[in-house]
Amino acid sequence: MSTILKVEALRVAIGALTPLSSVSFSLEKGETLGLVGESGSGKSLTAMAIMGLLPLIGGRITGGSVVFDGSDLTALPEPAYRKLRGGRIGLITQNPMTSLDPLKKVGSQIDVVARLHLGLDKSAARNRTVELLGELRIPEPASIYHLYPHQLSGGMKQRIVIAMALAADPDLLIADEPTTALDVTVQAQIIRLLSDLIRDRGLSMVLITHDMSVVAQACDKVVVMYAGTAVEYGTVAAIFDDPRHPYTKALIGCIPRGLAGAQRLKGIEGTVPSVAHYPQGCRFHPRCPRAEAICAAVSPPFIASRDGAAACHFAGAVG
Amino acid sequence: MSEFLEVSRLSKRYTSKRGLFGAARSMYAVNDVSFRMTKGRVVGVVGESGCGKSTLARLILRLIEPSSGAVRFDGLDLLKQRPREMRRLRARMQMVFQDPYSAIDPRYTVADAVMEPFQIQGVRLSSAARSDMISGLLTMVGLNPQTASSYPHQLSGGQKQRIGIARALALKPALLVLDEPTASLDVSIQAQIVGLLERLQEEMGLTYLFISHDLALVKYFCDEVLVMYLGRVVEALPNTDAPARHPYTRTLLDSTFQPDPKLRRRIQPLAGEVPSPFDLGPGCAFAARCPRASERCRVETPLLAASGGGHAVACHHPD
Repeated sequence: MSTILKVEALRVAIGALTPLSSVSFSLEKGETLGLVGESGSGKSLTAMAIMGLLPLIGGRITGGSVVFDGSDLTALPEPAYRKLRGGRIGLITQNPMTSLDPLKKVGSQIDVVARLHLGLDKSAARNRTVELLGELRIPEPASIYHLYPHQLSGGMKQRIVIAMALAADPDLLIADEPTTALDVTVQAQIIRLLSDLIRDRGLSMVLITHDMSVVAQACDKVVVMYAGTAVEYGTVAAIFDDPRHPYTKALIGCIPRGLAGAQRLKGIEGTVPSVAHYPQGCRFHPRCPRAEAICAAVSPPFIASRDGAAACHFAGAVG
Repeated sequence: MSEFLEVSRLSKRYTSKRGLFGAARSMYAVNDVSFRMTKGRVVGVVGESGCGKSTLARLILRLIEPSSGAVRFDGLDLLKQRPREMRRLRARMQMVFQDPYSAIDPRYTVADAVMEPFQIQGVRLSSAARSDMISGLLTMVGLNPQTASSYPHQLSGGQKQRIGIARALALKPALLVLDEPTASLDVSIQAQIVGLLERLQEEMGLTYLFISHDLALVKYFCDEVLVMYLGRVVEALPNTDAPARHPYTRTLLDSTFQPDPKLRRRIQPLAGEVPSPFDLGPGCAFAARCPRASERCRVETPLLAASGGGHAVACHHPD
């Protein structure tokens, strides 16, 4: 397998603050990697850094690298980035309401991507769009093409956003909470669709989510994020069967399993610190049941295990 | 065990005018819903957006007036109560709202917010009794009594939801209607709040009506479950181990992912999405998406019928 995306020691600054640091992972072709965490964990900021969108929010990369298919993107000038975004990297956002233009037919919004990035003429782009809508299991694609976003349901709009992301035949998809705004039966449809696309087209995907159940269902690898930093990464089996970071363990313990005789839910005491008040040492230590004096003083290094690594002083310990 | 809350054939119909020449259209937000609750039980109402679960909650507390049907609370017919009597009754039946951000007046301090119910009920307290009450209520929901002088914007989402719960419990109600109380919270905070609600229910012998879109959470938290689809209760489960018999309930279960990669599902997507409630013809509202639908389902509305052991299902072809 070859690596399509490699992020190393990524560090992002906005003004005088450093809302993101120490994020590293690599994504192989054909794989889906989950970036999971609660609000304020830095998962969406990681996606913006990869897509070169930090200037939009006044941010910049101040350390580390983002290597896409062999080339470093951190120094890429904006015109070249513009070719990459929507071209070889497709973006699927959480809210289809805001990523679609309410005044344009959905078909022509997809056309424009293929015309811009693949240089197709009007009718070729249109044929391609109708074909793509069919591939996304949209019924009667030729008539849907002529509808406006407000005429479509939430799940159908999200399919249109996925079609836009796929229109230029990308190698990598970045999906930022693609099912968070959807009902559970529609979420299941969209996750199935994305999994099929990854398999059939040999795509790779970074899936950003707050939902550990979605990660368990759809991802091969996982990066767990907390308070602007990665705390653990590994294969999906390692993360769920043998989590090494106390935060990962706690996060899994917070999810109701919907099974009879389930264990009591254990919340995590306290709240996620804000970027201006990140604690010294391990950022999780004020909420951590295992914390000792060293945790408040020394930022923990990553300790490798069989199929991953965790940034915890006790990650190597048994239990 | 006493019948504590009895809802009989409750309906809420909305009519909309459709422009200058269009005919008026109507839809049932809640359609012919009947159920009973026993004191001290936790009953869950689950369904996707637009199923009528929040409207049902508001109808039960008479925050909106039903089109037809009856609600009996502790033997009293709520719809026959005059405003003054209703206000007194509301001290015994309270609601916790989904969005703790908009449920509290931003100009109120925490103390004002939790004491508001006393003010509405015209209860006067001495300043010593008042400050005892405030610190008692805040301690009960796991907040530091010093929080009393804070304003909502100084609190996190989880803290605000604790205030919402403290306020709902201030007058020692018997019934608490919880409308998606954790839906806008991070998962670690959701688990804290669920744990708090469990503890309060045990300590105070409260009765909960728990509205949620999250079937895993409902199965974890509730004793009995009502499943709603397009305004109707399609299945009533007497306990959370009872096997689902309605095809829609089974679909909801199959669409819910488990936080365990070993329990990955082969997702069999359900056709389509929830149809518009305005265009419902005769027959079962789920028929168009149902894998078991027969000709009968398209013409004859199935009614909720007891199938033994407190289980009831509204389906012509149940499992």
